[in-house]
Amino acid sequence: MQYSQKVLDHFMHPHNVGKLENPDAEATEGSPACGDQVSIFMKVDENTHKIQDVKFLSYGCASNIATASIITDMAKGKTIEEAKKITWKEAAEELDGLPPVKMHCSVLAVDTLRKAIKDYEIKHGLAEEDKFSTDKIIEELKKVIYPNVGEDIVSLKMVKYVGFKDGTAIVDVEIPKFDKYRDNVAEEIREHLEKFKEIKDIKITM
Amino acid sequence: MKKIYFNNCLTSKPAPEVVDAMLPYLKENFYFPGNFIETGETIASHLQDFKEKIAATIGAKANEIHFTTGGTSANNIAIKGYLSANAHKGTHIICSVIDYPDLLTNAAFFEQSGFEVTYLNADWDGFIDLNQLEKAIRPDTILFMTTLANHTTGTIQPLREIKDILAKADHKIAVHVDACEAYARLPINVNELGIDLMSVSAHKFHGPQGVGFLYQRKGIVLGQFKHGIRRIDNLETGGISIAAIAGMNKAVELAFENFEENTKKIKELSQYLLRKIEERIPHTILNGPRGDKRAPHNINISFEFIEGEAIMMMMDLNGISADTGSACASEGLKPNYVLMALGRTHEQSHGSIKFTLSRYNTREEIDYTVNKLEQIVRELRSRSPLYNK
Repeated sequence: MQYSQKVLDHFMHPHNVGKLENPDAEATEGSPACGDQVSIFMKVDENTHKIQDVKFLSYGCASNIATASIITDMAKGKTIEEAKKITWKEAAEELDGLPPVKMHCSVLAVDTLRKAIKDYEIKHGLAEEDKFSTDKIIEELKKVIYPNVGEDIVSLKMVKYVGFKDGTAIVDVEIPKFDKYRDNVAEEIREHLEKFKEIKDIKITM
Repeated sequence: MKKIYFNNCLTSKPAPEVVDAMLPYLKENFYFPGNFIETGETIASHLQDFKEKIAATIGAKANEIHFTTGGTSANNIAIKGYLSANAHKGTHIICSVIDYPDLLTNAAFFEQSGFEVTYLNADWDGFIDLNQLEKAIRPDTILFMTTLANHTTGTIQPLREIKDILAKADHKIAVHVDACEAYARLPINVNELGIDLMSVSAHKFHGPQGVGFLYQRKGIVLGQFKHGIRRIDNLETGGISIAAIAGMNKAVELAFENFEENTKKIKELSQYLLRKIEERIPHTILNGPRGDKRAPHNINISFEFIEGEAIMMMMDLNGISADTGSACASEGLKPNYVLMALGRTHEQSHGSIKFTLSRYNTREEIDYTVNKLEQIVRELRSRSPLYNK
């Protein structure tokens, strides 16, 4: 497994590292227990909604740092509407690719950026908190990357059933019994769904 | 850029003398052992000499040594061979949650075939729970397995005490030891330590890759695990590189001719490394014990608030090779199972770096490494949302 030169450059000399004092929006995703965590801070022009400045802090591996670096580069100067559309695939492409097993790092960086934008929108009355539904669960599962191929488990049609009843989220995933990433995928699903206050219990069948 | 190598637990540089000792067996003496022909008899006599030399280093006899194609092969021949030949006496195995993967995957394999396994826990420093061991012994326990010097933390398991506990049972419980990290670094006497089966890998102590040996105490019966033609050994059937065996023999010779001096030097270097890191870098946690209960070559240390793959890569980009227990660098994206079992948090396991030294390392290399490491840790902490100091 090898990183591209661009990943190494952004890892060794990341852009936009640090914290902004009095940011207009901020968000943190991931946790030390998940192995990676990214915080993003933004200054946004109130009239144009353009991202004037953006900084990040990262607890994570080389690709985590590199993706946070590139995503903040990509977002800077864009309006929040434009920045919202940046996908994790674009972030990975911008880095000349990431190994499949590292794709989840770009998902985390993009997710943090989107959450920071949402934070700004809510603070400025531009959006409301999302309503919870099974669609939200499916949207969240699109952030769970199958490390063997570096694609999400929804696009790969590995998710066979998603349900939500009485506070319990039910997810059925098709994954070979001896797959080395089986536990990792289950753990990732859990970590992604745990953040919804509506979900009290998670049942994963494989 | 000069390469500084602290990954000797993974594999170590073959000593130049080892390579020299191998060459004649690649160029001229490439034969397999055999009877009644000069070529075969010469090789057979060399192999016998090698066995005698190796046996003497562990207090064994030459006919108790089997050449194998490495440590994992020796582990498989021993575990599968012993359990298949002795299942009629019982089907219970004891090992620990922190054992080397060879032992754990074999235990899991036998669990699926109807055996029961007790996995002992380990304490903060990596010593297995001896009270639990005593309680785990059952009339049907036939095998105890352990990793003499733990591959992650260097913790040396107290085999003498274990021997006494196992002796309290009113039946024989065989002891299989994975000594791949321990051999040539710790004095091992199979009789004093109560070892019945022991695996050793040559490339961990400056021998060639693809060769090792299994110690099988006389009277311990092993079923045939590898079927096939007997070329060199009756358990490791098929061919084994004679040049590799000769290289291993040389590596043994080099390790034991200055055994105390070598191990003392490595111990001093690793203690120097640890002292310098702890003096200069705050917020670290040593994984494994301090002092003589730790293998001399191993320093495993967690750097808080940062992640190990990033540390490892930055060191690598500065020419320093070491290992990490981070999930990001592991095959299944899981944090190091040994460190987690010793009560480290995810964060502490992710932030761990393992240095395994050899006699080829120098103080200058360590000074350079600690200087770089101090900068790397400072840089990564300045990027970390967890660090507010």
